[in-house]
Parts: sequence; structure tokens; C-alpha cells
Amino acid sequence: MHRYRFVLFRPLQFLPVLFGISVVTFVLVRLIPGDPARILLGTRATPTAIANIRAQYGLDEPMWTQYLYFLKNLGAGEMGKSTLYKIDVLRLIATRVEPTLALVLAGVVLALLIAVPFAAISARRQGTVADHTVRVLSTAGIGFPSFWLGAMLIILFSVKLDWLPVSGYGETLFDKLTHLVLPGLTIALSLSAVLTRSLRAGMVAGLQSDIATAARARGMSENIVFWRHVVPNALVPTINLLAINIGWLIGGTVVVESVFALPGLGQLMVRGIFSRDYMVVQGVALTFAVATVLINFVADIITVALDPRIEL
Amino acid sequence: MIPHLQIDGLSVVFRGDDEARILLDDISVSLNKGEILGLVGESGSGKSLLCRAVMGLLPSRQLQVTHGSVMIEGQVLDLAQMQTVRGRRIGMIFQNPTSHLDPVMRIGGQISEGLIHHKGLGVAAAKAEAIGLLTQVGFPDPERAYDSHAHQFSGGMRQRAMIAVALACDPEILIADEPTTALDVTIQAQILRLLMDLRDSRGLSIVLITHDLGVVAQTCDRIAVMRDGHVVEQGEKRALLAAPQHPYTQALIAAHPSVTTAGEHLPPDRAHQPVFELRDLEVRFAQGGGLLRKGKELRAVKAVSLRIWPGETVGIVGESGSGKSTLARAMLGLTPISSGKVVFDGLDLTQDRTATLRRLRSDAAMVFQDPFNSLNPRMTVGETLAEVLRSQGETPEAKIQPRVAELLEMVGLDRSFATRRPRSLSGGQCQRAGIARALAVNPRVIIADECVAALDVTIQAQIVDLFRQLTAHSGLTLIFIAHDLAIVRNLCERVVVMHYGEVVEDGTSQQVFDHPKTAYTAALIAAIPDIDPDRPINGGTPALNQPELTL
Amino acid sequence: MLVAGVGILAAFVILAFMAPYAAPYDPIFQDGTARLMAPSPAHPFGTDNFGRDVLSRVVWGARIDLQMAVIGVVFPFLIGTVVGTLAGFFGGWVDVMFMRIIDVVLAFPFLVLMLSIISILGPGLSSFYIAMALVGWVSYARLIRAQILVLKTQDFAVAAASLGFSRTRIMFRHLLPNALAGSLVFVMSDAVLVLLSGASISYLGLGVQPPLAEWGVMVAEAQGFMTQAWWITLFPGLAIVVLAFGFSLTGDALADLMGVRE
Repeated sequence: MHRYRFVLFRPLQFLPVLFGISVVTFVLVRLIPGDPARILLGTRATPTAIANIRAQYGLDEPMWTQYLYFLKNLGAGEMGKSTLYKIDVLRLIATRVEPTLALVLAGVVLALLIAVPFAAISARRQGTVADHTVRVLSTAGIGFPSFWLGAMLIILFSVKLDWLPVSGYGETLFDKLTHLVLPGLTIALSLSAVLTRSLRAGMVAGLQSDIATAARARGMSENIVFWRHVVPNALVPTINLLAINIGWLIGGTVVVESVFALPGLGQLMVRGIFSRDYMVVQGVALTFAVATVLINFVADIITVALDPRIEL
Repeated sequence: MIPHLQIDGLSVVFRGDDEARILLDDISVSLNKGEILGLVGESGSGKSLLCRAVMGLLPSRQLQVTHGSVMIEGQVLDLAQMQTVRGRRIGMIFQNPTSHLDPVMRIGGQISEGLIHHKGLGVAAAKAEAIGLLTQVGFPDPERAYDSHAHQFSGGMRQRAMIAVALACDPEILIADEPTTALDVTIQAQILRLLMDLRDSRGLSIVLITHDLGVVAQTCDRIAVMRDGHVVEQGEKRALLAAPQHPYTQALIAAHPSVTTAGEHLPPDRAHQPVFELRDLEVRFAQGGGLLRKGKELRAVKAVSLRIWPGETVGIVGESGSGKSTLARAMLGLTPISSGKVVFDGLDLTQDRTATLRRLRSDAAMVFQDPFNSLNPRMTVGETLAEVLRSQGETPEAKIQPRVAELLEMVGLDRSFATRRPRSLSGGQCQRAGIARALAVNPRVIIADECVAALDVTIQAQIVDLFRQLTAHSGLTLIFIAHDLAIVRNLCERVVVMHYGEVVEDGTSQQVFDHPKTAYTAALIAAIPDIDPDRPINGGTPALNQPELTL
Repeated sequence: MLVAGVGILAAFVILAFMAPYAAPYDPIFQDGTARLMAPSPAHPFGTDNFGRDVLSRVVWGARIDLQMAVIGVVFPFLIGTVVGTLAGFFGGWVDVMFMRIIDVVLAFPFLVLMLSIISILGPGLSSFYIAMALVGWVSYARLIRAQILVLKTQDFAVAAASLGFSRTRIMFRHLLPNALAGSLVFVMSDAVLVLLSGASISYLGLGVQPPLAEWGVMVAEAQGFMTQAWWITLFPGLAIVVLAFGFSLTGDALADLMGVRE
């Protein structure tokens, strides 16, 4: 089981990256021209509030001390107050995590459900009409802008067919799920295009590989060759691709949440940018970055589980 | 007697978009029961394709069997029912076990897969039988091997695993496609011995495909020689080797380097100082390791001391991992030296690095193993040579093109090759261009690292000939690194044997080959497949019949 | 495939240059009498809520969107190639330093970091280019570095070293030309990502500003009229899809041509 020992050590290797992330997010806000105290509190802050914030963030002290204050406050679970919502950013973020998380999960699961069968059909029937259709669609699908795809899905399923709600998020579980179908599909369609291409390429190579030839030479049927030997080998690079694309996927939620008015982190960030609520922008960026690091860690564990050759 | 396997007038055609090429032309070969048939040929002869065609496993839809039939015990095989024949009646093993074994499935899973699907065994019964098979092919700990993955084994053990997988459904016929080409000679001898034992114990009939006449001479009963999609000659082994009828067979036999023939040499010049002097040379690499783990240290070259004299032709031999390539790179200052000394032409590489390197770059040159990889794919041969001439700075600009033509001529290439890129050349031509590049330096020393290993036998013989010409008349010193002892015996007057980073033997070729001092060298020489059918494989050295115990 | 891909790209370039002649109407002219008209012979793509001709706006949009894709790729490509070559060739602390920076940049979701930078610089096309240059180079740097590391160990590179060629000669004459082949293919798939990012950021209102005709902006402006006028949304989006398809096809064709595996 020593192959999984990295699960204990790997988090230590995250430290430099986490340090970098904290520096970048810290610097982002300090780069804004103007009095940082007013930026943090908004233009209508009282003089006492400004004095307080100067003390809490050490705004009169050198940059690196300010950074230490930032870390200390972060450690205490405080990132500063949102000027728009008047509560601490971390608490604000906590209330908005759910729709975004649900959206990412729905996107990944749906994307795999779409990509695996289509890639399989395409790879096993090379040169047929089905194969060409899948290849053209998946190539074109990479270029589908999510804001447009989302809008088109709304026009089709909500306006014309009236099957699903146009936008927003619900209260009950069922309500929430119906509100997640179209946004989830929007994310999934874009992602499945990338995954289908990768899986198809892996499967085509796998079907011609020595592994497949050897399995055929011992009399295995094409179904066994494909599902027991080709697919497991094609999945490893696809999981890596999924991990690489997770940043793209999370970025996509920002846009998709805006299209569907889903009250998640992405929408929070966009609102923050427009209302100059910099603490919120900083907080969401930090949260997304840490989430990306964690997801890549999970992808590493999955890769090690799928491919016995890999040692980390 | 009805042959066990009979291929009758088989033709395979490649249908491209606008052309059709005949790849196999009217092939008729037969294999008797309990016999080992050697199918010999160089690359492109169609020997592997023939076996794929027999198995119904042609790699592309553009390849089609147009004529002929395949019979087992007189019964014609139906292509539509090949799935029931593959694995059950005909098993197959391949050259590269690493790419043919599924890396993400356990070895045991791949063996019992066949047992479960063909024989309908339950999981437990399949496992028991699989472990029996692993024992038979020589795994010392079959239970553990059953649960292991392919990458956990050495090359030789992987090939044993693949044999076990192929034997799972108890086939009567085994097709072995270059099963030992990727292996070291001592391991090759073990695998060949295993195949012969299996033939005896299971009554297998075996088709052994190989490019190496030495391998067939010592293992097969009959030989079929293939070239360009034809069988040019077939017959009983001894008769065929003793009196080959076809000119190609004769050429192939003539090209085979034999351990018993030695080359002739000028005596080396020992009056002057040695070209190379190595003293206690060590090269160590850090392996693995990370932030919190301390890595292991690999001692690739251990305390090597050597002197190489001007005009000498020295062969450095050893199996993979013996450190011979690392030694070559360290001598040229291409790999950092951990301790000890490299002295070139009186200059000490460790003490006076800049001056020594300058001297090395103008007086020594290297020729590499992979002919395609050793030339920049984006430059023409002419550009490659001209670049070397310019950087050496001794040839005036106007003389560069004539000199390029001269160099090409020296290595037996037409001057039109100057405008061609590596991708449009054959392996042998690339290797000649690589030698021309080395000669462009006008070197006193050439270090050739496994430079014929990737070539066909007849091309090998040509390149070795070229080296012989180059060294015969000039005072060129040649350091020839190879795993193939027979070639070294042919070409070199002196042999250095390396084993796990150490020099275990150093002497004239005659001394070393006729009276090896260490058991390792003796075993190595005994394992060389020789074209003489009466020399038993392995030389009967019992020490090497044990499988290597690496897991 | 190459013909189709390059054909699509060429068509868009011609359209962008010929916009004043190719577009039937002024892209920002508001015709109060022709609001929200469905596609018809007079307005093949219909009109929007201000009575502007959607076809003309899509044609003029080609100028801005093509420009975004090209400029958004060029600077990251140049920066990334230089950094990747240096890091891969020299290794050591140069490599470690750049790799750490790259790790940090890659830890942020691409669009999130872009938006954060734009939030400081303020909305606009130039902010988009600056953010792109700051963020986009990392993928090129990683790619080139990985290629250089592989090429460095190839025999022809060792041969070049053993023949005494200078480091700069080995780097620029032997390693870089071979490494660039792979990144040329990546340029095409990156152009798709840049195009989508630029359009997305404009859609969010942080890139190109109205009334300029840009495809992402057009979709954003159409959102209020989804129930009545699907054509205002459909056509600008399709333009993005087709242009992106052109880049992807060209990239695939180049990959086949040069034998590069992605």
C-alpha cells in the first residue's frame, strides 16, 4: 500500500502553491489605486470604522506586515467584510457554495455519461456515419460558448417547450434539481466534447494496441477486448485531462451561473466586480484556487488507483 | 503424415487508396507435430505479417488475404470461426512483452481470463490452474506473481508471464514472434530453453519467428527463409545451413557474425601515451527521492580503470544495465563524473575541464544507437555535416560542400544524400550519415554506442565492414560498445567486459573468448546463439539455467 | 480537413476586412420602425430590439472577435516560448522558479484569475489583452519546457553537445525548432479558448463595451428578449461556433501533418 503514501505527504507539497495563491490574492486587492481602507469599507465609511480597519489590517505598516495580518485574519476565519452584503466574506461564501458545487458535480457526471458511450460508438465503428457525426460534433462542441449554449437551451426547453424553469434556484430538493438540469447540461455538453475527443483517441489507439492484439490472439471476443482492456487504459489519460480542465470547468460556472441567475460563487464574484466589492472578489478567487488544488489531489489519487504503474 | 499446421499458397495484399501491393506472395509452409519451425527474415520480409494472417489478426482493413488457406491437421480453418481457434488451438507470444501485457490488469487476471472464457472454469479453479502455469514457466513465487502487475517484473520474467498467458488454454501450436529480440543474451538463452522444454513436456508445435540465424540454428528442426513476402528457401536445418541453395540465404549466413572468426589488426601503438586513461572512474545517479524521502543512489559505473592506446579497436561489452553507455558518455564529458579521473590525450577532464573538453570536441566523436533519433529531423544530411565543419572552423567556406561530398563518399553514400532528411532514409543509411558526421570532426577517436543494434543483420555486416575499413589504414582509435559479442569478436582486437558497472574482464579478443577468466564472461560467451547447429544453446552452463529472481 | 479549416479562417479574415462592403446595413444604426423583426429577405438574420440589423452586426463582430483571438494568442505564445525554452534548457533554479510561478497561476481557474485582474484594471478590451498576457503564457511555457526536456535527452541533442556546438546553437538550432512543432498545434486550440474567454468576458460586461458589435456582447444584449426573438441570440453564437470550428479543424490537420499527439 506504499503507493498511496503520497496521500500523507502530498499536502505538504501544496504549501508553496497555497502560499503563492495567498500572495496573489493579497496583492490583487492592494494593487487597486486609492486608500485601501476606503476600498475595504466602501466610500461611505465612518472615520472610526476606518481607524478600526487600519488597526486590524495594519494598513499603516509595511506591505509584508500587512500580508502577515492578512494571513492571521485568514487563520481566524476572517477575510474582511463585504461592502455590499455587510457580512464577513467567508460566511457569505459558505452560503453560496452549494449551487456551485452541485453544478460542477452535475456537469462532470453528465459529461462522463455523454462522453463514454459516444466515444465508444465512434471508436468501435470507425469510418461509419456515426463515427463522423460524433467527431464533427465533438470538434465543434469545443467551440460552443457556454453563455450562448445556455441561452439556446433556455429558448428551446423553457420558452418553446416550457419543460423547465428559465432561471434561479429553488428551496426544496426537487425544485433545486429542476433548476440545475439546464445549467448542468450546459456545462456537461461543453466538457463532454473535450472528453469525447480524448476518450475516442485513447480507444482508437487502444484497439490497435499490442495489448488488444495479444488479447485477440488468445481468443477474447471484441467486447472483452474493448471493455476489459481498451477502456481501462483509455480512462487514465482522460482522468488527467479532466483534472487539467477542472479550472476551465470552474471558470465556466461563473458564466453559466450568470446566464441562469444561479446564486452561486460565480455570480457572487461577478456582482462583486461590478459593485467594487473587492473583498468578495478576493475571497471567491481564493476559494476557487484552493478548490482546484484539492480537486487535482483527488484526481491524483484516482489515477494511482487506476494505473498500478504510477508512483507519486 | 499430415502436417500439424499447413499454410497453403497464402497471399496477402495491401489495398491503399490508389495502389495495391502484394505483401505476401503465395506462401506455403508446413509445421509438423512436435516440431520447431524457424521462420527467418529481415525487417520487411513479411514474417510477422504471415503469422498475423494465420491468426486472422491482420492489423488493418486494407490488408486482405486474397488466396490460399490455412489447415490444422488437414482441416481448413474458417476465418469467421477464428475466435475459437485463437488461444485454444494456436497460442501466440510477441516480441515486446511490455506492450503486449495489459499494464493495468494483474498477471493472474490475464491468465485466468482465457481459462474462464474458453474453458468455462470458475474463478477459483482458474486461479489454481493459472498458478500451476506460472510455476511451469519458472516463476519462483507463483502466488505472488499471480497478484502482480507486469511492470513489477524484469523483461525476461515478463516474457515468461506472456508465455503463461498464451499457454492458458492449452494450445497445440505456439507462434512465437521474435520472443527474445528485446532481451539480453543470457535471458534469451533461458527463454529459448524454456520454449524447448515446453515443446517436450506438452508436445507443442512451435513456429519461431526471428531475424537471428543463430537462434534458429540452435533451437529449430526446420528453417524457412523469407524475403520480400516470399519464402525463398525451406528445409531441414542442417541441410539448409550446410548447403544453402538461394543466394539470399547464402548472404544471410555469410553476414552472420560468428564467435569463432576473429578479425585482423595492426598492433596498437603503446610507445606513446594512451588516448584515454581512466582511473577509478565512478558515475553515480540519484534515483527517485523527493522532499521527504531519501532516494537511492545508483552506481552506474564503479571504479573503472582503463587505458586505451592510439590505433586500438576496443570492444566494450555487457548486458543492459552494465553501465557501458554511461561509461562512454562520461569519457566524452557528457555525464558528470562522481569521482576518479578521465585523462584524454594527457589532459585531465576533472582538473582542466575547459581545455580537455575543447580537445575532446575536436578529436573525439560519437556514433549513436538509434539511427533515426541521432540526426536532427529538421535538417538535411548536408546541413548536418556542414554545421559540424563550420563549428570546427578548419574548413574554409568554399571547401565545405566538396568536403561534405567527400565525407558521404567515405561512408558509402551517394552525394545526392546531402539534400535528404533523416525521415526519408533507411536505418542503415541514417547510420552511415551518423558515421559521416563523426568523421567530419576528423577525429582520432570514435566512440560507437550500440550503433548496429537496431539494424538488420546484412546491414550490420556492412556497417561493421565500414568500421573495419576506416580503422585498418588510418590511426583511428575505435571504442565499440555493444551487447552482441559475436560482432565485437569480429571487429575488435581487445575486449572489455562490463557487469553491473564494473570491468570484470579486459584482454585481447582471443584471450577473452578462448579462455575467459570469470564465470560471468564464460556464461555470456556460452549464451551467444551460434550458427553452428551442433553447439548447444547456453553451452550447457548450469548456472544460467536458473531464472533470474527479480520481483 | 486542412482545406476546410483554413477555408473557414480565411472566410472570416476576408469578412473582417471587407466588413464595410459585406454588411448590408450600418451595424449601429437604430431603425425604430424595424424592431425585433424575424429573419426575412431584407434582414436575413432579423433585427434586434433597437432595430439594428443582426447580420451586419455579426459581420462587423468578426473584426473584433478575430482581433481578440489573434492578439490574445500572440503575446502569451511569445512570452511562454521564451520562458519555457529557458526553463527547459537551463534547468536548475531558473526552472524551479518559473515552475513554482506556473503552479500558482495554474492553481487559479483560468477565467477567475482573468476576471480578478480585469476587476482591478477596469472593464475593456485592453484589460482583456493585459490579463491574457499575464495568465495565458503558462500553458505555452509548460508545453515548450516539457518538449525541450524530452528533446534534450535525444541522441541528436547529445550528438550536438559531443561535437562542441555552443549552448545557444543547440538551443535555437536543434531544440527549439523541434519543440515549436507541438506548440503550433496548441496555438490553434488555444485560439479557441481565447476566443471563448474574450466573448465570455464581454458577455459578462467586462470586455468589449456596447454599442460595439461583438458576438458575446450581442448575446448578452439579446438575453432580455429570449422569449420573443430567438434570432438575436442564435446568430452571433453560431458565428463563434463556426470560427472556433475553423481553428479546431486547422489544429487537428496540423497535428496530423506534423505527427504530433496532443
